[in-house]
Amino acid sequence: MQRRAFGPAAWLVDGVAEPAAWAGALRSMDLDGVREVVPAERTVLVVCERPQAEAIGRRLDSVRVERSEFVDSTPVTIDVVYDGEDLRAVAAATGLAVDEVIERHATGVYTVAFCGFSPGFAYMTGLDPVLHLDRRATPRTRVPAGSVAIAAAYTSVYPSPSPGGWHLLGHTKAVLWNVERRYPALLGPGTLVRFRRVNP
Amino acid sequence: MSGQLRIVETGWSTTIQDRGRTGYAHLGVPTAGAVDATAQAVVNRLVGNDERAATLETAGGLLVQAIGPLVAATSGDGVRHTLQPGDRLRVDPPSDGVWAYLALRGGLGVEPVLGSRSHDTLSNVGPPAVHAGDEFDVGPDPQTGLATDLAPVRPTSRIVRLWPGPRVEWFDRGLDALTGRSWTVGSEVSRVGVRLSAAKFGRTRSAPEMMASEGLVTGAIQITPSGEPIVMLANHPTTGGYPVIAVVEPDDLPIVAQSRPGTTIRFRPA
Repeated sequence: MQRRAFGPAAWLVDGVAEPAAWAGALRSMDLDGVREVVPAERTVLVVCERPQAEAIGRRLDSVRVERSEFVDSTPVTIDVVYDGEDLRAVAAATGLAVDEVIERHATGVYTVAFCGFSPGFAYMTGLDPVLHLDRRATPRTRVPAGSVAIAAAYTSVYPSPSPGGWHLLGHTKAVLWNVERRYPALLGPGTLVRFRRVNP
Repeated sequence: MSGQLRIVETGWSTTIQDRGRTGYAHLGVPTAGAVDATAQAVVNRLVGNDERAATLETAGGLLVQAIGPLVAATSGDGVRHTLQPGDRLRVDPPSDGVWAYLALRGGLGVEPVLGSRSHDTLSNVGPPAVHAGDEFDVGPDPQTGLATDLAPVRPTSRIVRLWPGPRVEWFDRGLDALTGRSWTVGSEVSRVGVRLSAAKFGRTRSAPEMMASEGLVTGAIQITPSGEPIVMLANHPTTGGYPVIAVVEPDDLPIVAQSRPGTTIRFRPA
């Protein structure tokens, strides 16, 4: 674990094995003056109230990741109709049959590594390496909410309509983001996720 | 909808803003809030509000009309106004600024979303965009006295203090690459960030070819592959994919936010 100053009131933590789990462990310490804990692909940003930043920085070394709290949590199951526009292209690019693409995506167990891009957009790891593909050369100008998609080592579900360059495998009726709920995001860093194939 | 204030002309980039939304960055929700928090705090104090009260933020051309009697303050001139029904008030930044604020005694009476009354221009969280004809209530009277406020309503300096960012060692001159010269503010006015003129930034051998996206703070200065520094303002995305060389001292961020396209700013170490 290495911490770097990110201006006068924040730290960037580098070199932790699982940023989402580390971020969860820091949150559970409930330190005074922590404003935001933002895991990303390899790092965790810790934003502090300025007067407490130094004291919080000294505590970061003592963060201990209890892996069990993430591994044992009940997965969120998302029902998916696999009718995405890019199924055939993904099958062609991977040398799999369309049904095999669906099978490999639907049998995975995923973990939300971090969120970003738009509120509630979860980057989930655990995707079958055969399905790791670069983003589409030309992004779509509009991807509908609920689209289930893959890109690089990640799978995700678009929480709201937006432009997007990921490969679309299907869609879900699950509501990923709703500010009226107590927890507006269905999926947050550390959440375990499964997809279940359902008929239209 | 009925209320005590009517929007007659929306002007440019006019939104409702308070001090922003904390605690949701890990879900991808930007902080938002006023891009010039100092100017906003001054107008709120001028009308006796708590600093958390919601204001209107505009890049100019905002015209409002009082429906009921109102006490208001504008940041362009730092003046408090007592408005009678029918009175109109125009809100513009000063000729050497970009953003202006209108505070109403009691604050704009809109519902908070995720703990804030700020409109998030990236993801639309918060109160909706402002349109001509919209009417707003004001919140309860704060029961405070109306004091005079001698705080400057806008920055007088053009020198911005910098702290090292997390990737400063990827640049072979470190912070010196930003200090000791002047930078021209780019032409785009945005709540997300201010783009500065491009320069050559030499990379050290420890700098990777590609970096994974990482979290951003307000005031972070990212360096794009073409050498353009981008200073992140209140509505920056929660993560970014360019290395952060430095972070603007928060007290000096209004200098950057209020710098008009084409003007120059300078940096020095904090």
